[in-house]
Amino acid sequence: MSRAWSCAAAAAPLVIALCACASEPVAAPPAAGDSPAAGSPAPTRDPFAWELPPVAAVERPIVDASRLHRETLANGLQVIVLEDRRLPEFTAGFVALRGAAIEGTSETGLAAFTASLMERGAGERDALALAAAVDDLGADLAVKADWDTLRVSLSGLSRDFEPLLGVLIDVVMRPRLGEADAVKVVAEQRAALAQAQDDPARLALQHLMRTLYGAHRFATPLGGTDAVVSGFDAGSAHAFHSRVVTPASGILWVAGDVDARAFLARAKRAFGGWRGADPVPLPEAPPIPEKRRVVLVDRPALRQAQIAIGHEGIARTDPRRLEAQLLNTAFGAGGFSSRLMNRIRAQEGLTYGVYAQLSQYRVPGPFVISTFTRIPEVGRLLASAFDEMERVRTDPPAGIELERARSLRTGSYPLALETTEAVMAALLDLEVYGLPRDTLDTYRPRMRGISADQVAQTALSLVHPERATIVVVGPAKVLLEPLSSYGAVEVVAP
Amino acid sequence: MRVRAFARSLLAALALVPLGAAFAAGERERDVKFEDPALRTKVMTLANGLTVLTLEDHATPAVSLQVWVKVGSGDESRFTGIAHLFEHMMFLGSKNLSALGPEAYTKLVEERGGRINAYTSRDVTVYFEDVAPEHLPLMIALEGERFANLEVTEDALRAERQVVMEERRLRTDNDPEGLAFETLMGLTYQAHPYRVPTVGWQSDLEKVSAADCQAFWDTYYAANNLVIAIAGAFDAEATLALVERHFGGLRRAATIPRNPQEEPEQDGERRAVAHVPVQAPIVLAGFPAPPTGHPDSDALDIAANVLANGRNSRLYRALVFDAPLALEPQAFYWELQRAGIFIAGATLRPGVEPAAAEQVIFGELAKLAAEPPSANELKRAKRALEVAWIRGQGSAHALASRVAQDYVAYGRIETLDEKLAAIARVTPAEVQRVVAQYLAPNRRSVVQVFPPAPPQVPAPVAAESRP
Repeated sequence: MSRAWSCAAAAAPLVIALCACASEPVAAPPAAGDSPAAGSPAPTRDPFAWELPPVAAVERPIVDASRLHRETLANGLQVIVLEDRRLPEFTAGFVALRGAAIEGTSETGLAAFTASLMERGAGERDALALAAAVDDLGADLAVKADWDTLRVSLSGLSRDFEPLLGVLIDVVMRPRLGEADAVKVVAEQRAALAQAQDDPARLALQHLMRTLYGAHRFATPLGGTDAVVSGFDAGSAHAFHSRVVTPASGILWVAGDVDARAFLARAKRAFGGWRGADPVPLPEAPPIPEKRRVVLVDRPALRQAQIAIGHEGIARTDPRRLEAQLLNTAFGAGGFSSRLMNRIRAQEGLTYGVYAQLSQYRVPGPFVISTFTRIPEVGRLLASAFDEMERVRTDPPAGIELERARSLRTGSYPLALETTEAVMAALLDLEVYGLPRDTLDTYRPRMRGISADQVAQTALSLVHPERATIVVVGPAKVLLEPLSSYGAVEVVAP
Repeated sequence: MRVRAFARSLLAALALVPLGAAFAAGERERDVKFEDPALRTKVMTLANGLTVLTLEDHATPAVSLQVWVKVGSGDESRFTGIAHLFEHMMFLGSKNLSALGPEAYTKLVEERGGRINAYTSRDVTVYFEDVAPEHLPLMIALEGERFANLEVTEDALRAERQVVMEERRLRTDNDPEGLAFETLMGLTYQAHPYRVPTVGWQSDLEKVSAADCQAFWDTYYAANNLVIAIAGAFDAEATLALVERHFGGLRRAATIPRNPQEEPEQDGERRAVAHVPVQAPIVLAGFPAPPTGHPDSDALDIAANVLANGRNSRLYRALVFDAPLALEPQAFYWELQRAGIFIAGATLRPGVEPAAAEQVIFGELAKLAAEPPSANELKRAKRALEVAWIRGQGSAHALASRVAQDYVAYGRIETLDEKLAAIARVTPAEVQRVVAQYLAPNRRSVVQVFPPAPPQVPAPVAAESRP
């Protein structure tokens, strides 16, 4: 049991550059004019540590340039190496720069299906032999798809680097994608789609996405729909692999205890002759929902209602992304410091966790407030959440509130990038979205340069309570009434 | 895999003893060469009995401060859930911080970019802050403040009780896997204090008062019941002086009461069924197992790996690869301080009868009890455990957790060499023996979660034909 709801807080930011002074309590000299009269001892005390101005953060570079190596092969494949010889381990992988967002309506879930099937045999090895090649070395192999990428990753001890690199090469370029395995993966993916219905949080988000995005790919889960997935076969995966896993839109990477020069030479030998398709077009942006809808997903047995409130958000490349992140830190993504958490948990005791997330993809993802509460309090919680959405527009974060959010972002940024693996993930994120390569080191000064006016403008352009869709998962019989004040309620089965 | 917890009572520590002296030499030379960072740990015990572990690692940009209190739900006597509820109260006000408003403690950390949280298990309650090194002195002052001057008011308790009840609904009432686990623990342990859920029963949570919290504090939050671990980029000598300054005044308890820990030997299978409208049924089997640090622990870990780690594991082969019964088989040995539990089970595919999957799982356990694992299976399982230990050193938080956990459990810190040597020593026959000994059918408790049967619809009555 932990105290705070774990949520995927966006990695970010930096320093409290207010005062560079000792952090330990020191006796403050009495101010002139405050001196006690002779003979009457002053009720003075040393200030507590938390009463002193914050210590200036020491700004260290995120990436040691001497450890970072990049090269682009003639076939377009990017190679990135981040050396870290402290522990005898490494993580390596391949990122294909297209994911589920490019799927058509008749192939929803195909990226996830292809990724799963890529784990079931490659090169000379069938599914069990491939698993054994990895497991025998205590390594981990994963192939996963998200909206914007398909990723192969492999981690293990550096003494096993050579055989594991062989596995990586096979999985990327020579996956078997066999028919018998395809039949199994179809069954597993369908079962997983059904299982997702057992999780109220996932159910709420799925219904929110379905309601917001209509015919766009985002309307159905990454894993697709049962009807579409049941039609997949090995040929489907072969076709998707050929379209997406290509050197011209791929990144090969390794982080950890490896010799960069040797790896680059090895990469050229293994991947230099690889030819693949040209990159497929980028996905289309989703439409902007025009009005609020209210959806009640009937789960009569639940003892706690799950709530998702959302509308359109921003793309990863949106020029307002830092302002939006700073705003959302103060609003709903800043842990216990955020307005939502402060009010709905700390003051009102309505929930264990409430979190606002700006999901940023190549095209705009949703802006979603996620939370849960006991059934009788759904109406009260919604009122508080909408009140805070209104307030962030009319009374945006400024002054000390904004500075606290800013220092949270700037201070947590290097901590989130503590490990070499995390730094590599951040570097890959920049490549996936075409963001400037110096972002890791410019983030903190840029965050410090955002004005209160920019935050206020961002709040007006980003937060739209009047057309935020509401999804509640819980017993419809009880929840229909509190929801009806937000509009016509659509009651649906899970 | 092993879910590590904590064991044994603390051994007395001497002031500022470099821990190197406490390490036993590895029994074999590792074939992976690197310095075990935990070897740099220093141990200090303050006059009031508080233990401080410091581990400098200047290659990281962070420092982790962790305060481990040796009290968990396994120590509760009157109200279930009070250890965890009290953990929440530690964030809600103290003599010199309350004026700054609700959640001041957390906000002071968050606004410096720090990560702050806490957790409660059956054995311990842990409070931690992961921050940039320059903020460590403030973190020590803040921890010192709440450990010295906590204030629990009825008003704060009233609101936080609701928050904890929401946590319970989230993790158990609305979560089929959480419900299955809670039921399994209650079935496996009947006398042992581990039988109750750490989050507590709702009816108990409703009755805890501020005075009860104060009594809990007085009993368990004493200096000689704490271990502080600090790892990362900091200066140990200066930091120890700060710890002494902020924690040196805490009182020492004459005694720390502990609940009886005996569990009668189980002789016969126990069963429970939860009817929940799930798509994916669940079956879990639990077996009483030894506490952490027991000589059989590594063999049980290896058995768990042979059963359910990877696509070549026995349960994966039987439940996923060869027959489409399960989504995700699992087997793990959860080693707690005062007892352990071995769990084997699976989340099933929609429509699969738990009884059918159960027979497959029990069949695999029986095979492993009758015949030792193959040399290849053993090697693979050992390698997985080895690599997990070696790779788990990457962050200041992980390092602080590792040394604190060992110290709380064993009164010393095990070196990687010791850990790896213990894994290497396990033989196939030992794996077979522990499976036969601990995972016997008459020692198991079984929980099934599946949907209720649809309501019986009366068969239509055939219309009478008129004469």
